[in-house]
Amino acid sequence: MPLRDVALGPYYLLKAMATTFKHNVRPVVTIEYPERQKPVPPRARGRHILHRYADGLEKCVGCELCAIACPVGCIVVEAAENTPELRVSPGERYAKRYEINLLRCIYCGLCEEACPYDAITMGPRYDLADDHPDKFIAVKEDLLEPLPASLADTAVPSAAPSAQKIPRKW
Amino acid sequence: MPQTELLETALEEARAAGYIGRNVLGSGFDVDVLLHRGAGAYICGEETALLTSLEGYRGEPRLKPPFPAVKGLYGKPTVVNNVETLATLPHIVRNGPDWFAAMGTPTGKGTRVWCMSGHVNRPGNYELEMGTPIRELIYEHGGGIWKGRSLKAFQPGGASMMVLLPEHLDVGLDFDAIAKAGSMAGAGAMMVMDETTCIVDVARRLVKFFEHESCGKCTPCREGTYWMANLFDRIEFGEGKPGDPDLLLDMGYNIDGRSFCPLGDASTWFPRSVIKYFRDEFEQHIVEKACPFRGEREAVA
Amino acid sequence: MAVVTDQVTLTVDGQSVTVAKGTLILDAAKKLGIEIPIFCSHPKMEPVAVCRMCLVEVEKMPKLQPACAVYVMDGMVVRTRTEQVQRYQNGVLEFLLANHPLDCPICDKGGECPLQDQTYTYGPGASRYDFPKKHFDKAVPLSDKILLDRERCVLCWRCTRFSAEISGERELALIQRGKDTIIGTFNDQPARSEYQGNWTEICPVGALTSRQYRFISRPWDLDRTATICPGCSMGCNVHADARHNRLGRFQARENLAVDDGWLCDFGRYSFPSFQREGIERPRVRRDGRLEEVSYEEAMAAAAQSLRRAGPATAGWASPAATNEELFLFQRLLREVLATPHLDHGRGRGEAATALEPDDAALPIADLERCDHVLLLGGQAVIDAAPVLHLRLFKSERKGVRVHRVDDARAALEAVPAEAQAVGIVSSLGRKPEVDSLQGKLARKVKGSVRRLLVPDGPNGRGATDLGFGPGRGPGYASLDGKAGRARPDWEAAGVRALYLFEASPLHDFQASGEEREWIQRLETVVLQRPRPSPLDDLAHVILPGRAFVEKAGTVTNMEGRVQRIRPAIDAAVVRDDWKILQGVAQALGADWRYRDPDEVFADLSRAVPAYRADRIGERALWSERA
Ligand code: SF4
Ligand code: SF4
Ligand code: SF4
Ligand code: SF4
Ligand code: FES
Repeated sequence: MPLRDVALGPYYLLKAMATTFKHNVRPVVTIEYPERQKPVPPRARGRHILHRYADGLEKCVGCELCAIACPVGCIVVEAAENTPELRVSPGERYAKRYEINLLRCIYCGLCEEACPYDAITMGPRYDLADDHPDKFIAVKEDLLEPLPASLADTAVPSAAPSAQKIPRKW
Repeated sequence: MPQTELLETALEEARAAGYIGRNVLGSGFDVDVLLHRGAGAYICGEETALLTSLEGYRGEPRLKPPFPAVKGLYGKPTVVNNVETLATLPHIVRNGPDWFAAMGTPTGKGTRVWCMSGHVNRPGNYELEMGTPIRELIYEHGGGIWKGRSLKAFQPGGASMMVLLPEHLDVGLDFDAIAKAGSMAGAGAMMVMDETTCIVDVARRLVKFFEHESCGKCTPCREGTYWMANLFDRIEFGEGKPGDPDLLLDMGYNIDGRSFCPLGDASTWFPRSVIKYFRDEFEQHIVEKACPFRGEREAVA
Repeated sequence: MAVVTDQVTLTVDGQSVTVAKGTLILDAAKKLGIEIPIFCSHPKMEPVAVCRMCLVEVEKMPKLQPACAVYVMDGMVVRTRTEQVQRYQNGVLEFLLANHPLDCPICDKGGECPLQDQTYTYGPGASRYDFPKKHFDKAVPLSDKILLDRERCVLCWRCTRFSAEISGERELALIQRGKDTIIGTFNDQPARSEYQGNWTEICPVGALTSRQYRFISRPWDLDRTATICPGCSMGCNVHADARHNRLGRFQARENLAVDDGWLCDFGRYSFPSFQREGIERPRVRRDGRLEEVSYEEAMAAAAQSLRRAGPATAGWASPAATNEELFLFQRLLREVLATPHLDHGRGRGEAATALEPDDAALPIADLERCDHVLLLGGQAVIDAAPVLHLRLFKSERKGVRVHRVDDARAALEAVPAEAQAVGIVSSLGRKPEVDSLQGKLARKVKGSVRRLLVPDGPNGRGATDLGFGPGRGPGYASLDGKAGRARPDWEAAGVRALYLFEASPLHDFQASGEEREWIQRLETVVLQRPRPSPLDDLAHVILPGRAFVEKAGTVTNMEGRVQRIRPAIDAAVVRDDWKILQGVAQALGADWRYRDPDEVFADLSRAVPAYRADRIGERALWSERA
């Protein structure tokens, strides 16, 4: 064994340890998912959101244009008429039933593009794991934007909740 | 209404004299004249609209053919005559056709009543031989432009006819001659405008008249006159956009000759001719965002 | 020598076409497959040329001409796609849309709207109209059936012309003028027409819409089934449109021989009665209570009780049952149970009366070719088959004299001796009277005298043809003295068991109070019906069957036309009625092995040769009977 190698041995040892220790002080990139989540870019196409106007009324009029635009046919909309007792959206018509099968959705965003009222947009949520296929049918209550804070405790009438409400993790 | 009373009286007299009614002058022929008062709708000047209105319906023109002479009032053959025609008749009957034909020009024989209004010293009805120069009508019979001003433009034939300029003053009052000058003799209603007149405003008022008088039957006239009126409003009140005159011309293209009856067609003639001769006035309205004549007119008045 | 013909030859877009004199340019172009866009023109109405959408260039005519109103002339040269025409089409669509609300997303016409389609095909991409739109009332209730959106209306006059020229009621009119023109009824009174649903079909925009169909579906979501209206014996052809397996609407499916493209509101808006609310299971009464059981158990229970009563059983079938079902049911009763007591008359006094084939019956469309038509019974006959009125009014407009009379004596006087073709229209219940009137008229007038009798129910004619009555067998075969008793006499005849086949909520048994008491005392009541019935609490066995819109088969209309009905709603878990009938027969020991309704029909044809599988859609031919 040449003497030079003997002398270099501790050097390499220290160099290797330095590499290891360097990582101890580097900033952490791993996050505690799902407890903590990374912010997504503003135009990311995650799970859909149905929007409301500032007064809490829903933007969706139940026109079904998203449903016909959807290339996989995963949206079902059924419309109904607003009445003085039950006013859900500003005009004559609102969506009584609005469902998206999130397992079929390919997150293409064509629904968003088709909507004449900007009622549906692709939101930031992407953590859609769950334990039963049925739970991937997002119904209107899942998709609707929460009422604005100022209106949260006033009773803004909304359509009757869908019958098949299943508890969801997302 | 004095006119109706007058006519009713005349009819009573004729009936008493046996000129109308049963067995006219012992000839065994029955004929009667009924006076029916219209409600003043311009569209009822169109012969078929007149008939529809006489039948008690909304006054609106009917599809031709069949023409009234084949299928008119209540589905029966009908002759529709203008008052102008009827007014000329007695004189021809009294003096003979040759007397009548000797007057006027080879293409327009006889006389015609011109109803002159606007900025002349003596507005009124003037019966003149056909072919009389327009200058004579305005300056001799009408006594010239009022308040010593000068002539800006005139409309020779009624609310729908194309505008003519002072350079046309020597045109004869005759159907062919006026047509050659680029307008029409139409109903013979001469409207004279002095130099302080805003031609855009005149067109605006005329278009609004047509918008109001449109019967609403056909799309180009119903929607087109409404749109044109909106455009003229905005130009006159200083909100016009640079493309507006061309938009008006294009709408003229889509209304004229496309409407169900001549009312729609005619609503575009005056505005289009005005854009042709006075485009700079339109531009001025649009660029200055105001009517250049308003202040002046108020100052004069 | 020039040959005088009634044909003219013209050129449209360079192609030459020969059509009959009096053809519109529009139709001549259509013959060449050239489409000219239209809004106001309608093939069944007089041209009005108000929308100005169809203007085309015609050589030698200075202005563009409305293709929907100008008749062809020999040598005419028409151009439909020149630059001038296209520029104008852009213009007129821009005008139509200038004050149109464009609320397609909430409009029920969206997706099947001619204004949308033509804007896409012929219109401008964008509008230059930048003023606030005119506003009118929206969603105005014209009646309990129709809403009118005055902003969407393009004033095409189709609805007003329907009201004047097709139904003759003159209920709709144009009000105001110019830019303020609107459609409305006199003094805003609710519309009372029985034909309002047709307005929604002819309206080229979403201005007139059905309240029943409001926001139910987009047209592309509908499953369309060609079937027959369950309303009455007119047998109007309909499209049953369903979404998510629920009926959304009935729409006309033009059959010129029958309905002429129209429906009445009774039929059109009858679909909610056929809506299925959940799935029912058969029930059998045990110890006074109805218990749910399987079909097999219920059929066995029915068979057991019926066997006990045997010939003391009476069978009633609704005149809405299909021919196949009626044929099987009559076999079950006559062959398996050996009872002669069959009937299909509704209400106690209405026994089925026709005892011979209505051979020389007047076809509906031939009403237009009569010179005198006697409507014996007046409005009551119309109420039983409302679309008949539209045909009669059309005939009247063509010059046919229609006499609305109440008794035969007046009828006889109304028709002059020189009449060429006389039609009598009346209800089947008045058959004896019509028979004698027909005889007397035949002696009085020179020409032919034919009749059209209106039975009750969409298959009342089929029920008589197939012998579903006490007096005659299938095909009016004689019963050789073994005739049974009609419904009013069942109690007196000692009937102990009743098999009721209701088939339709619109044509159910309708028991009188007295009859209910009698039914209550019966040993056995088997009730086969599609929807809960007022007789449920009297039944011992309830066999849920299918509704008119859930099954396949044939029905025969008043003129004897055998037409197919098809299932618009999938009700697979509910047993088909013919299968239930077969099951009961099998439980009673019969060896029936039909696999589908077509096999039943084949058997039916053997018994009634006038009904032929290759002639479905046509009138049954009785005179060809071998
Ligand atoms: S994102 Fe695409 S696939 Fe998903 S619902 Fe919208 S249109 Fe359909
Ligand atoms: S989300 Fe938009 S496109 Fe879809 S139904 Fe509602 S309004 Fe129409
Ligand atoms: S009528 Fe036609 S164009 Fe008008 S809103 Fe309805 S669907 Fe749209
Ligand atoms: S309501 Fe419909 S059918 Fe009637 S005029 Fe208006 S657009 Fe035409
Ligand atoms: S379709 Fe010809 S004018 Fe309306």
